[in-house]
Amino acid sequence: MPGRQAHGRPLLPGPANVANGKKPGKSHARTFKKSRAKATAKALDAFAIAAEEVPESTRGVRTRGLEDRPAKRPRRGDDGEEEDFNGFDDEDDAPRKKARRGDDDGFSDGAGGEDGESDSEEWHVGVNAEDEDSEIDSDEAFGESDEERFDGYAFSGSSSKNNKKKKKPQKRRGDEEVDDDDDEGEEEEDDEDDLESLGSDAIDLATALDQYEEDEDEEEEEGSGSEEDQESADSDDESEDDEVDPSKLGELESMIAGFAGDEDKEEEAEPAQTGKTKLSLKDLGLTGIKDEHIKKSLRLMSKEEKAVKPGSSKKLEVPLAKRQQDKLMRSAAYEKTTETLDRWIETVKHNRRADHLVFPLAQNAHDRGLSTGELMPITQKTSGTELEQTILAIMEESGLGPSATSQQKNDGEAAPQLTQAEIQEIARQRRRERELHSREMARAKRIKKIKSKTYRRIHRKEMKRLEEAELEAKLEAGELDSEEEREALDRRRALERVGTRLRESKWAKLGKKAGRAVWDENFRASLSEAARRQEDLRRRIEGRANGSDNDDDDDDDDSASDASGDGDVRRRLRAELEKAAAYEEDDEPKSKLMQMKFMQRGEEQRRKENEEAIAELRRQLDSDGEGLSEDDEKEIGRRQYGMGNSTATATTPAQASKLKAAESRPSVGSTAAAAGPEPARSQSNAQANGPSGGGAWTSTEAEPSAPGAAGVWSQVETSGKKSKKASKVRGAEIDISSATIVAAQPSQAKPQAQAAKGGEAQDGGQDSDEEFVSHLPMAIRDQKLIERAFAGEDVHGQFEEEKAEVEREDDEKEIDNTLPGWGSWVGEGVSKREQRRHQGRFVTKVEGVKKTDRKDYKLKGVIISEKRVKKNDKYLASQLPHPFESQHQYERSLRLPMGPEWSTKETFQDATKPRVILKQGIIAPMSKPMY
Amino acid sequence: MDPDAPASLVEQPSGALAVTNTRTEFRSKAELNRIRRQREARKTYGRGPRIDVKNVKDKKLRRNLTALESKYKAAALKAKEAEILLENQAGFLEPETELERTYKVRQDDIQHEVGLDVAQKRFELKLDALGPYVCEYSRNGRDLILAGRKGHVATMDWREGKLGCELQLGETVRDARFLHNNQFFAVAQKKYVYIYDHHGVELHCLKKHVEVSHMEFLPYHFLLATLSISGQLKYQDTSTGQIVAEIPTKLGTPVSLCQNPYNAILHVGQQNGTVTLWSPNSTEPLVKLLAHRGPVRSLAVDREGRYMVSAGQDNRMAVWDVRNFKEAVSSYFTRAPASSVAISDTGLTAVGWGTKTTVWRGLFSKAKAVQEKVQSPYMTWGGDGQGIERVRWCPFEDVLGIGHSEGFSSIVVPGAGEANYDALEVNPFETKKQRQEGEVKALLNKLQPEMIALDPNFIGNLDLRSEKQRQADRDLDAPKEDIVEEMRKRARGKNGALKKYLRKQRKKNIIDEKRLKAEEIYKEMLEKKDEKHKEKQAELGPALARFAR
Repeated sequence: MPGRQAHGRPLLPGPANVANGKKPGKSHARTFKKSRAKATAKALDAFAIAAEEVPESTRGVRTRGLEDRPAKRPRRGDDGEEEDFNGFDDEDDAPRKKARRGDDDGFSDGAGGEDGESDSEEWHVGVNAEDEDSEIDSDEAFGESDEERFDGYAFSGSSSKNNKKKKKPQKRRGDEEVDDDDDEGEEEEDDEDDLESLGSDAIDLATALDQYEEDEDEEEEEGSGSEEDQESADSDDESEDDEVDPSKLGELESMIAGFAGDEDKEEEAEPAQTGKTKLSLKDLGLTGIKDEHIKKSLRLMSKEEKAVKPGSSKKLEVPLAKRQQDKLMRSAAYEKTTETLDRWIETVKHNRRADHLVFPLAQNAHDRGLSTGELMPITQKTSGTELEQTILAIMEESGLGPSATSQQKNDGEAAPQLTQAEIQEIARQRRRERELHSREMARAKRIKKIKSKTYRRIHRKEMKRLEEAELEAKLEAGELDSEEEREALDRRRALERVGTRLRESKWAKLGKKAGRAVWDENFRASLSEAARRQEDLRRRIEGRANGSDNDDDDDDDDSASDASGDGDVRRRLRAELEKAAAYEEDDEPKSKLMQMKFMQRGEEQRRKENEEAIAELRRQLDSDGEGLSEDDEKEIGRRQYGMGNSTATATTPAQASKLKAAESRPSVGSTAAAAGPEPARSQSNAQANGPSGGGAWTSTEAEPSAPGAAGVWSQVETSGKKSKKASKVRGAEIDISSATIVAAQPSQAKPQAQAAKGGEAQDGGQDSDEEFVSHLPMAIRDQKLIERAFAGEDVHGQFEEEKAEVEREDDEKEIDNTLPGWGSWVGEGVSKREQRRHQGRFVTKVEGVKKTDRKDYKLKGVIISEKRVKKNDKYLASQLPHPFESQHQYERSLRLPMGPEWSTKETFQDATKPRVILKQGIIAPMSKPMY
Repeated sequence: MDPDAPASLVEQPSGALAVTNTRTEFRSKAELNRIRRQREARKTYGRGPRIDVKNVKDKKLRRNLTALESKYKAAALKAKEAEILLENQAGFLEPETELERTYKVRQDDIQHEVGLDVAQKRFELKLDALGPYVCEYSRNGRDLILAGRKGHVATMDWREGKLGCELQLGETVRDARFLHNNQFFAVAQKKYVYIYDHHGVELHCLKKHVEVSHMEFLPYHFLLATLSISGQLKYQDTSTGQIVAEIPTKLGTPVSLCQNPYNAILHVGQQNGTVTLWSPNSTEPLVKLLAHRGPVRSLAVDREGRYMVSAGQDNRMAVWDVRNFKEAVSSYFTRAPASSVAISDTGLTAVGWGTKTTVWRGLFSKAKAVQEKVQSPYMTWGGDGQGIERVRWCPFEDVLGIGHSEGFSSIVVPGAGEANYDALEVNPFETKKQRQEGEVKALLNKLQPEMIALDPNFIGNLDLRSEKQRQADRDLDAPKEDIVEEMRKRARGKNGALKKYLRKQRKKNIIDEKRLKAEEIYKEMLEKKDEKHKEKQAELGPALARFAR
């Protein structure tokens, strides 16, 4: 690696420049062609060369060398030996010396005043002449020299420190640069020589500079400066007095000023050095350097210049070897990159798992960040910002605010549309409704209300609170109308529209033209229906049509009662009761409906009940508060259907009688005729007492049944059916235990049932059970005939036989494959024991389906084939597909068909949507992690 | 136990009522509603039990399965929500009081009450000369085919009263049936089965089907199944014309035939009171069940394939759960042996017996766990002396067609038809173009006859045979399918079979085993050729090598 070496950092101070004068050609075995060429180019211009070297002069290696120097000084005797080595070296190395190296020396020589310039020049020339073929030889030479040098050190012992110094960096740099190190070792020796030649002054200067230069040391380590540079720097240091560039002088002085008075006279050198560090690259002509390593180091240097303050005494640790450093850097860099990549992991995961991906990505869309939501009108509630509030206030002021518009709307809607005719119409409507609504019904309601007032009062507050909460919630939600209400309204409107369309339809027009309404009743009916609906709708549009006046009244009453105290309540209740009692028929015109007989009858009955209820209430009110409250409690949570308390009292006897009947039944015994009438009668009693729903009952009771002559079987069936029906009506209270007894019971009711059934039976021929029962004699005869007809064939027996055979066939079998005479004797005279011994020697077992494993094992009259349908195998999966763990999972995954026939459109589209959807546009990569 | 199931009372042996599934945590009303909706959706549209995802170890599989489950759930919910699109409601005749009986309502009453267009659907065709007539509707209910025993066949668009074609065949006609649409129909005549087009032009004479008494057409498989008097069950593919299966039933002259629309299994009613279930893939019945003591006169299976109604000579009518072959309800009695049974889309069952027709409602209901015996029929018709031959429901209409000895009667039975048709399936209002496209689509989606099985969902399921069993099942006598040999033998000459095959296959870019083998052989051949060439060259020597061929 010549390149590396050429710019490699000198780890050891260069070998002592033993004979600065004597041996101008310093040993520099390893050279780099490029630098050599450059060196040759600049060889003549000493200053330029010097300038080039200046920045590198601050290299720490050399300073380290300087540190050592004081220690070495006393042992000058060693030099002799070293000289010897050097001499040895020189013999080999001199001709191969590098141009640059030569320059340095030249310079330093000049500085020291010991070496002549001619020397350097000579050396240069030499280099120039022979630089081409130096490399291989140098390697060999170094091998030798190395050994010798080490020997020397080993013997000397005095240079142990030096030695250590040498080894340390060697270790750091690693094996690959062993050659390089060899060079450096040499250089160090040179250096030492150099120092010696310089004398004590220079050494002092170096020690003085120690502090400062140690800083630079590090920098040098980092940089990949070459040994030569240091060498040159070295020489610079020493030669500053003579060769100071006039242009730099000012800088130097300023540097000195920077060190103030702390330094001694010797330290005059120091400003020189620092001044040198300040030399810009341009000055050195290094701007044109292309080698990256150098550039880097230069950059670092320049940074250092700025950063480091003179006089800072901080001691830095010895830097790590480049290799190690690189390793650390790499690991750090790796961590950094993984960290950056980790940020994407979630996104990648999401995208991998996503069902669908859409490109271009939404995050790269041009309108990203813009809200696509609808802009809602600003109200008092929603106005968040100050601007909005002010604007709202302005709007309000000028009468354009939301509240104003709604008010306007209300005004405009309500007032002008109520014409006289419509009001009349509404009134008429109401009256009609009122009429339809039974008056007594209303009264009953009133009574009931009075009864439950206490209850209501208790719950009222709670209700109110709830209502308020609800209202508030609604207001908060910004809509007073609930969704459902609105929907219902819409629906009604739609219906209305349909109605109008119907009215304007071709059909209607045709009908009108043909005058169909005159003769076609259906047409007329539909027309009127349409008209009615339209009317209804129109009213609804006008406002919440059919008034809730009654409710309002109630509310008023309630609130009034609520306000007063407990005693008050009772009084009020009584008053109300009086009012209800006094409620008499006014002389309003009766509708046609009300004039009908049965309506009047019903009304009458209700009135009676109401009277009773009132009486009851009065009694309770009179007796004491306790009774009332008890009653009220009884009222709680119980439904009341208009008839007041009397119903309950009325029903109880009926129930009692029923129960009695039920009890009596089992006791009656086996004679049906005797037992029959009683329960029937008792039940009819119950019906008579019962509420108006009795009609349905009678029908149940009057169920037809077989005549007494019918067989027991039919009777049982009837009773079973009957009990079912009865229980449906009455609940489970009546238990019919004995079938025969009950069978007799309907026989009582038979005649009328028959009468009722008469017409039906004639036109029917129905298959119904009732019918079947009514025609039982014939049906029975049929059944019997049929039974007799099919008696010959024992179908069931045959089938069972067949099934048994199939079972046997499919069952596991053992087949004896033993051949008589194969491996045994047969024929006469063979003992039975012998025969038996050979019987089942070769048995094959045939797999089958055991009887208990059959699908039809528990099914009677069914044979299910257990044979495989081979043709179906084609459509079976031969093995479990990979990701699935069980058959169940796999088969489950096939359960939902994809096609549009089996699922909704949405599901179908979801299922068939491609995973990656590309839309037109530029597909940019993700700009940032999405999750 | 399903956590979403509602609370219910369970009676303990001691008589105490234990409350199961009590709700212990508080849930909002919306939440409860949501859960209820989900439960309903799963009940109606769910596809079997869910799998336990939690026990899956593989993370990815677990994720995928969870996604799958949620997809199923969403699909069921969506389907439930889409019910809102089923705007038409089916309505039945409802008695106002308990005294009222719907079966007392006469056709005249209904006709008087209903709208004109519905009233028109009731009509009578008096065809008493060539009687008794069998009738069939086309799949979409538009067309009607009538076939008189004595050779009169007619098709018609019954709503418009337009006659499609009319044939006087002059020989016994036992059955007639439309094929996949109204363009073709098959007629089982005295000897053979013939296929005619909508103009009445005879297209095919199926001479393999001899003396056919019953026919069924399986619309998804394009199979015409015929059952002959001799008991031969034959399946013929009407799209390719091939006979798919010929199966001797070996149980004497069959009496009735119907198909299960759910799984395309044919149910054959036999003389000995058994009902046998057949598929074209096995030569013996898949199931044999003893339904009646006498011959099974008529059979019908409901649209979902859950229930079968059979009527026998023994005056009984039985309702079967055909999924587990149990009798759902103890049988009903008919006054005379029923001649024909049919089940409508909404589950109304029409039974023709003697001169009457009875319609039953709620004979079976999948919502009920245990079927109850219905006490009285829904509607009745007839009794005017015309022997009922066949009853058939018109699809998507509240109409029952009755073929009898006096001709044909179409009566109105409220609530019989499916109110909301699925136009992707069958469109009763289809145009000519739609019909044509539907035909092509149906052909593309045609199912193979091998796909017919008792459980139509078996496709793709895992083959659970053991390897040993498979080995045993393998046909060892079958000649080995040796592609290599075949190729080698035929791959001679310049344009051998191999080259041709490869040439064609390379264009297709389908890589299968055969092609891989072929490539291998080809390579081998080339190598051999090369070797030979080299040998020749060596033989000729370096100078003349270039002339080697």
